[in-house]
Amino acid sequence: METVNPVRNSNKVLDQNQKTGFSNEVNPYYSIPIKIKKIIPETSNITTFILEGMPMKFEAGQFAELTVPGVGEAPFTPSSSPYAKDMEFTIMQVGRVTSALFELKQGDLVGVRGPFGKPYPLDDFKGKEIYIVGGGVGFAPLRSLFLALLHNIKKYKKIYIRYGARTPDDIVYRRLIPDWQKINGVDIHLTVDVGDESWQHTVGVVTVLLDEIPVNVKNSPTIVCGPPIMLKFVTQRLVEVGFEHKNIYLSMESNMSCGIGKCNHCRVGKFYVCKDGPVLTWDDVKGIEEPFL
Amino acid sequence: MKLYLLPSDSIKSFIKELAEDGSVFYPVFEDDKTHLVKFAEDKDFEPDFEKIRTAENIKHFFFPSRDVVAKFPKDSRPKAEKQYLFGIKSCDLRGIDVYDRVFIKNEPVDPMYQERREKTIIISADCPEPADCCFCNLVGVSPYGEGTCDINVTKISAGLLCEVFTKRGEQILSKHQDLFKEAGKDNIKEREKIRKDALKRLGKINEKSFKEDIGERIEKAGKKTMQDAQKDCVECFACLHACPTCYCFLLSDYKKGKDVERVRTWDACYYAAYARVGGGANPRSDLKDRFWNRLLCKFDYFNEYEGFFACSGCGRCYRGCSGKIDIREILWKL
Repeated sequence: METVNPVRNSNKVLDQNQKTGFSNEVNPYYSIPIKIKKIIPETSNITTFILEGMPMKFEAGQFAELTVPGVGEAPFTPSSSPYAKDMEFTIMQVGRVTSALFELKQGDLVGVRGPFGKPYPLDDFKGKEIYIVGGGVGFAPLRSLFLALLHNIKKYKKIYIRYGARTPDDIVYRRLIPDWQKINGVDIHLTVDVGDESWQHTVGVVTVLLDEIPVNVKNSPTIVCGPPIMLKFVTQRLVEVGFEHKNIYLSMESNMSCGIGKCNHCRVGKFYVCKDGPVLTWDDVKGIEEPFL
Repeated sequence: MKLYLLPSDSIKSFIKELAEDGSVFYPVFEDDKTHLVKFAEDKDFEPDFEKIRTAENIKHFFFPSRDVVAKFPKDSRPKAEKQYLFGIKSCDLRGIDVYDRVFIKNEPVDPMYQERREKTIIISADCPEPADCCFCNLVGVSPYGEGTCDINVTKISAGLLCEVFTKRGEQILSKHQDLFKEAGKDNIKEREKIRKDALKRLGKINEKSFKEDIGERIEKAGKKTMQDAQKDCVECFACLHACPTCYCFLLSDYKKGKDVERVRTWDACYYAAYARVGGGANPRSDLKDRFWNRLLCKFDYFNEYEGFFACSGCGRCYRGCSGKIDIREILWKL
């Protein structure tokens, strides 16, 4: 297994953005205040929060800690393009911080801290077919990746997206997908666990979309984000059809506090999800007893 | 290497003079335990440089158990003040080594830690009387300061024999040069004997060493070994909070008037919710996994990244343990 050195991995980008103006010091614990510009409900429990501007320079795959003032912070990968004017997060209401976030209104103040972690190695994806698999709210970080790829779409051979949700009403970005499907060089297939009368596409869990994989598995990168159970079975399938282990990029979920590889909360085996991740390859995590929990 | 002697009758004067420049903490021995106390002009004081490390770890001097690390929306914080830690033991220097790696060497730098570290002058003292709980010799720590400290002192019959390690240490000695003498050969000989005896004593307390590949052995341990190791653990977490090398923390936000304070508190990987995620999944819901995680962290991962164990051999974990679990026994068996 290729070893990385989590604690030695530095984060230069952070230093640029966390200057607080206070003693000209870089405080990695300080959150940059920013207002909510717009709130767009995506499904019954998933909402996109568009912030007023871009408080930090990030690359697709990196994440930030989002703060609800006085409540706390939680880690999220932005769902907007790194090249966008405003930063966006698409978030599912799950715990304490997200519930407080869902109470906020347009114009309310939140805080962001970051960016943290490693970006997707987009340079390595050049000239290749890119196979993206998502489930549920896992589409949020994948959208950021997708938009970053679209920004330079000529550099890539083709972008495939395979996405599954519980029901048609649970599909995130249903408002945007039809336009994406029209883009040359993009191939999107959707599935739902349970369809309804209007549903014209595949029915079944997301792995049914992987029965036939139209890419050259030997040198294509595949990027997966979704609930742990999905990660498990999708990874199994991707390994089975012959994707290189180092080309299977998996978004890891873990408890996180500091985001800068110090507090120790997010450690999965030898990796700090916050510094080495949040995306690790199957090559990195396959030795861990239960990588997806 | 130049050694200096601080004669017995000058020790108190030295502490008094240091106190004009910052807070001075020195060790006292009370009720069978050593504690660091703050020098106060109006109090009688009797420092003791010979007993083992303090009962409490010293990490709160750099990394307090509750610390405001940021404010929102406008950041501010009080500046750290100069302090002298006089007479801490070499096992606690290992703790500082660990923190230096985590909070300074590995970017981004933690500005709170760095500032406190820079404002803290460390004068360590030899540990001539290791106790049964001590095992610094098993984790690569000597019973005397060999670095990390600014000055190390050895209590000898004539006073304190001082060895300087940093420029800052030199400046202190030159500032207070009237109190010091150049050390004689007999002083140095006495130190050699004290150190030899301390090492001999440690060798007797801990006859076996840990196996060379201890990290790998911890990684490969079976479920039964893990189960047996934690059977007496009652989850009081004393071991982790007493540990001078544990550095886990948690950030929480609290409203304070119109502002928000981000507070860092010590955390411990034995807490059941430590690794639990928002959706409820928990990679270490079982105590045996959390218990073993501590060993992996200290003896496997940290060693792999930094080249030394995140353990000082101070034995506070054993002394504080309600179930009297001895980490040495677990590691010896592997």
